[in-house]
Amino acid sequence: MPAVIDKGKCNGCELCALYCPLDVIHMEEGMAVVKYPDECWHCGACRQDCAHGAITFQFSPAMLGV
Amino acid sequence: MAIFGSDVHRVKADVAVIGGGTAGLNTAIAAAEMGADVLIVDKAHIQRSGAIAGGIDHFFAYLNTGEKWDTRDAYLAYVAKVARGAANMKIHEKVLCDELVPAMERIERMGVSLRQPDGKIMRTQALGQPGPYAINFDGKFLKPKMAMAVKKKHIRVLNRVQVSNLYLHEGEFAGFSGYDVRNGDFYEIEAKAVVIATGNTNRMFKSQTGNPFNLWYCPANTGDLHRAAFDAGVELANVEYIRMTVVPKGFSAPGFNAFFGMGGKFVNGLGMEFMKNYHPMGDKAPRNMMVWGALQEVRAGRGPIYIDVRHLSPKDLAHLFSTLGTDKDTLPEFLTAKGYSREGAMIEMTVSEPMQARPSELCGSGIKIDETCASNVPGIFAAGDASDQMGCLNMCVAGGYAAGKHAARYAATVNYNRPFKSKALADEHKRVFAPLMRKTGIAPGEFENIVRIITTDNFGPYKSEISLTSAIAKLDALDRYRDELKANNLHELMRCHEAMNIQSVAKIVAHAALARKESRFPPYHYRSDHPETNDNDWCGLVVVRRDGAKGVATRFERLPYAA
Ligand SMILES: Cc1cc2nc3c(=O)[nH]c(=O)nc-3n(C[C@H](O)[C@H](O)[C@H](O)COP(=O)(O)OP(=O)(O)OC[C@H]3O[C@@H](n4cnc5c(N)ncnc54)[C@H](O)[C@@H]3O)c2cc1C
Ligand code: SF4
Ligand code: SF4
Repeated sequence: MPAVIDKGKCNGCELCALYCPLDVIHMEEGMAVVKYPDECWHCGACRQDCAHGAITFQFSPAMLGV
Repeated sequence: MAIFGSDVHRVKADVAVIGGGTAGLNTAIAAAEMGADVLIVDKAHIQRSGAIAGGIDHFFAYLNTGEKWDTRDAYLAYVAKVARGAANMKIHEKVLCDELVPAMERIERMGVSLRQPDGKIMRTQALGQPGPYAINFDGKFLKPKMAMAVKKKHIRVLNRVQVSNLYLHEGEFAGFSGYDVRNGDFYEIEAKAVVIATGNTNRMFKSQTGNPFNLWYCPANTGDLHRAAFDAGVELANVEYIRMTVVPKGFSAPGFNAFFGMGGKFVNGLGMEFMKNYHPMGDKAPRNMMVWGALQEVRAGRGPIYIDVRHLSPKDLAHLFSTLGTDKDTLPEFLTAKGYSREGAMIEMTVSEPMQARPSELCGSGIKIDETCASNVPGIFAAGDASDQMGCLNMCVAGGYAAGKHAARYAATVNYNRPFKSKALADEHKRVFAPLMRKTGIAPGEFENIVRIITTDNFGPYKSEISLTSAIAKLDALDRYRDELKANNLHELMRCHEAMNIQSVAKIVAHAALARKESRFPPYHYRSDHPETNDNDWCGLVVVRRDGAKGVATRFERLPYAA
């Protein structure tokens, strides 16, 4: 899992979904959802744009394990 | 399911820019300043699209400080040495040197300082440079600031529109098509001139962890316009080269020049420094030689390889970690998650995935341009990583702007928009949306994986006539599955087209590599059947062009260098 969204903190501003360069984040029922986690580039743009600190990163077992 | 493509929009502009990344935004600004009516089309959103989405930290420049390596002439001598056979010196002077000072001023006007917080310019040396050409700066918000500059000029932008094809009228550029990857609308765009700035081709080779999006360069750049331009008769050059770098094990992130610029040491599994065995500049050698050295050490059984930063001072280490996070936002926490101490560690590295891109920082790989950034097709220009002569931040900002000026000048001489055929557009509409219509079929990721296995087996990176011929036959045979690609939604539709474009570019790359019967910038072009560099016969460009429906024609163009 790459970018991870904390539903408790997301206020649905849509910025991350609007800007993600890989079209990975989409809005669903007013909430940002990391819809294609395997396609995340880990660029961190979404986290920088989120004014609510709702986005963190979790590195996959492959990234940490090899 | 909604019927996608039922809304068709026709949009007109003087100058259209395809790809609103680093280069494209500077192109658009230039063309607008020349008075042209400009339209930018990007498959993502220009606020954060492309290579520098999450930040950037080095700007290469000579600054005329009085040091002998710090002049235009010394810099050009370095280009001629390090990018010999790939960089066209005349074009380099026009797209970089003539535009360099205004480019730096433009970045600062956008609100991004090239200086350290104390007001000083900090420069480091790596990548074969004769002196510290790399200005370290905080470019974390450079892309949003560029997008803001575009907005201030009221330039029109179509975000989330993937451009699918280009059209000519009697040999001249007429327009292009695309579709909105979020709502499925179809676009027909007429323009007097177009600048292609869509970056290089990624996801073309296997990646270190098997995930094709865990890449050094932006995985959204998939050669879509290399393919479309090639099909329209545009010549490409420098595409035989396969670019790679040295990245942290597990995460294909940049940082390499920061590590070595700050004095990190490249060591093998025995803890021994080895780069001097491969290049007199050791750890400050050109990038291809660093990759070559790493590959040889691992091959000889002396892996894994590491960057040792234990000897750096606390101040340097702090600076290093902060720059690593400027270039790749998530890299510092990755290194922490891996258990490396910020007080200094031996960080395990590996060679990254190969990609279609420039063999040196000092040239490009893609659409062949002349001194006015024009291709061989009237009305089609190129800028940035998508062109055969530009790459890196400095050239994308400087040369992107040059391309915009020339495209606007050209557009001003065109008194009417060239028509494009409705039959061709109707066919394209059908082709674009076809994967959505299929009830069953192959997923784009599966198709792409097959491409990656073929490329990696046969030219990722070592290659020979036999392996390249075999790759071409297999890539050609894959064509039969194109009509079976299936998308369940618009996002997957974009991935289907990307998969096909990656396959097409892979074929072109293999053909170009077959033509160059020598090795150059090893391992970026390493022919095991022609392992030596042969300047007598091959100091220049392999130019590729479409030949008939399926063929690829190649020719060689010698590049002159002062002795
Ligand atoms: C993480 C990272 C760090 C780097 N650090 C440095 C550095 O410190 N110094 C340096 O000099 N260089 C650095 N580079 C290289 C430099 O950033 C690039 O050479 C440069 O930004 C490329 O600019 P570009 O405009 O050619 O491509 P990009 O900025 O990638 O733009 C290409 C654009 O085309 C769009 N696009 C692609 N296909 C289509 C399509 N079909 N339709 C519409 N739009 C499309 C993409 O969405 C994207 O916006 C770095 C690169 C990366 C990836
Ligand atoms: S940017 Fe933050 S607050 Fe806004 S939608 Fe995304 S996660 Fe939610
Ligand atoms: S890190 Fe980048 S690619 Fe991943 S979800 Fe965030 S913006 Fe998208």
